[in-house]
Amino acid sequence: MKLAWQNIVHDRARFSVTVLGVSFAVFLMVFQGSLLVGFLRAASRLIDASDSDIWITARGVQAFEFGTPIESRVREMAAGVPGVLETSRVCMAFAVYRTPNGKQQVVVLVGADRNVGKRFPVPGVPGSAEGMSPDALLYDVSDRDLIQVTALPAEVEVNRHRASIEHQIEGYGAFLGVPFLFTSYRNATRYMGFGPEEAMYVLLRVDRGYSTSDVQQNLQQRLPEVDVLTRDEFARKSRTYWTIKTGAGGAILTAALLGFLIGLVVVSQTIFANTMENIEEYATLKALGASQAFVARIVLTQALICGAVGSILGLLAVVPSIGYAKSLIPWIYTPWWLLLVMVVPSLAMCALASIASVRSALTVEPGRVFRA
Amino acid sequence: MPNHFLGVERASVSFGKREAQVCALRGVSQFFERGTLSLVMGPSGSGKTTLLSLLGCLLAPDEGTVFVDGVAVNGLSEAERTTVRQKKISFVFQAFRLFHSLSAIDNVALGFELRDAALPGRMEMARDLLVRFGLGDKLNQEPNELSPGEKQRVAIARALAGNPPILLADEPTASLDAQAGRNICQILRSQVDDDGRTVVVVTHDPRWREFADRTINLCDGQVEQKEKNL
Repeated sequence: MKLAWQNIVHDRARFSVTVLGVSFAVFLMVFQGSLLVGFLRAASRLIDASDSDIWITARGVQAFEFGTPIESRVREMAAGVPGVLETSRVCMAFAVYRTPNGKQQVVVLVGADRNVGKRFPVPGVPGSAEGMSPDALLYDVSDRDLIQVTALPAEVEVNRHRASIEHQIEGYGAFLGVPFLFTSYRNATRYMGFGPEEAMYVLLRVDRGYSTSDVQQNLQQRLPEVDVLTRDEFARKSRTYWTIKTGAGGAILTAALLGFLIGLVVVSQTIFANTMENIEEYATLKALGASQAFVARIVLTQALICGAVGSILGLLAVVPSIGYAKSLIPWIYTPWWLLLVMVVPSLAMCALASIASVRSALTVEPGRVFRA
Repeated sequence: MPNHFLGVERASVSFGKREAQVCALRGVSQFFERGTLSLVMGPSGSGKTTLLSLLGCLLAPDEGTVFVDGVAVNGLSEAERTTVRQKKISFVFQAFRLFHSLSAIDNVALGFELRDAALPGRMEMARDLLVRFGLGDKLNQEPNELSPGEKQRVAIARALAGNPPILLADEPTASLDAQAGRNICQILRSQVDDDGRTVVVVTHDPRWREFADRTINLCDGQVEQKEKNL
């Protein structure tokens, strides 16, 4: 396969164009893939952070950010269902936040009971900062510019109530362009004006001896006026809403697909031009006894070499770019497997791009070798 | 009873259709003995290259039979004819047809690879062949860095890689000066004398006559005359 390698490096300009095309496609696919993965993760981040097995929501709630009130008696009724070990509450609402310097900002206020889960950002859970009051507010470090807090603790207002921001966290930055503020359930209901008869999300932990789906069915029969979902179901529902129903996921996927198509066209053009330029050599190869498989392998190898080199360059470029993008889009996320997985479509893209070239090389008449 | 080692029997080939049809060979029967150097001469359009294409399994006749190494190859599939070329036949072309991106030694090594992909020591054998043809100092030169005579010697080395019994040459000296042309004639003659190869040369070049065992003259797709040279 030395011929394959030599053929492409011999024409360095064309090789560079091909590799750049692949790099661009890989860059775009990984970047868009990171946006999609990050978007999916962010869409269900708070649901995933809970330790609960079951979420009870109002009927038809599509995503965590669009919770509507339910009756608080649902919690008491659920607690009485066999298999329910523990209950907790989460609520959220858009609220008006007044920064220390008087500027107003819409925020998403999230309140939760302490037992909602160790990873859930709520004051007073084990591991949170010592000395923090139970009604403190937490904000994500990536939202510092929006929250406009220069020193902690900071006295602010939420829905015209005095509040104290006491701690900053990481990993729960603005997802909708609106920053999140986290506090205790009690404090949040006070700011939101929730009455004692109201709740929003009731979370349940199921006893080990019981099947989650059995408990879920039992609850749904007893509480037909609400939705009873497992944590994974609600997380999936939330992700589906944000990615499909809003069209955001479609836009990201379209951009990734465009990257793939651009790469396909660039690689296809350059490999085809290379093949046609060397078509007489393919005829010579066939006259000298090269099998169809040998000829096809040369063209395919050329395409895959371009794919491999382009992929490596694309990955080398995208990793620091995503690092930089994180400062602007905090939820962008590149799992390690995405980098590996993206090599597959890029190589597939190059293989696909070589089909026309392989056909041309295979159909060339070896008899043309005698034409001077 | 003719020696059926290499040749054609009542072979006819035509190109084009209806009014545009041109008959390149008309019922030609011609055999080439093993271990000889034969010339095929004749004016342009006489059917020389068509005959060479038939012998090289690059073309199938409309009628008649083609024999290669004693076997009729007409009914063979494309893949089987490729195998026949791979095992039995090698070519030398007027335009050399070297692979432009490969060095001289890699061109010859590719010749070995095409005949036997599993053959070990291809580079050493390629080097030996090139050294034998006086190109020991040009091993790593690319074709565009070689003179026409050197290119043709590399092409012959590539053709001989894997030791095929039949060598078909199409105007191998047409692009060369007198000295280089004579050198090529000597090399191909030595393939017959030293290695018992069967060489068929299509040429217009009269210098070849002194190196050939016999000459076949074609005219209008038919054998016009056969001469014994040596």
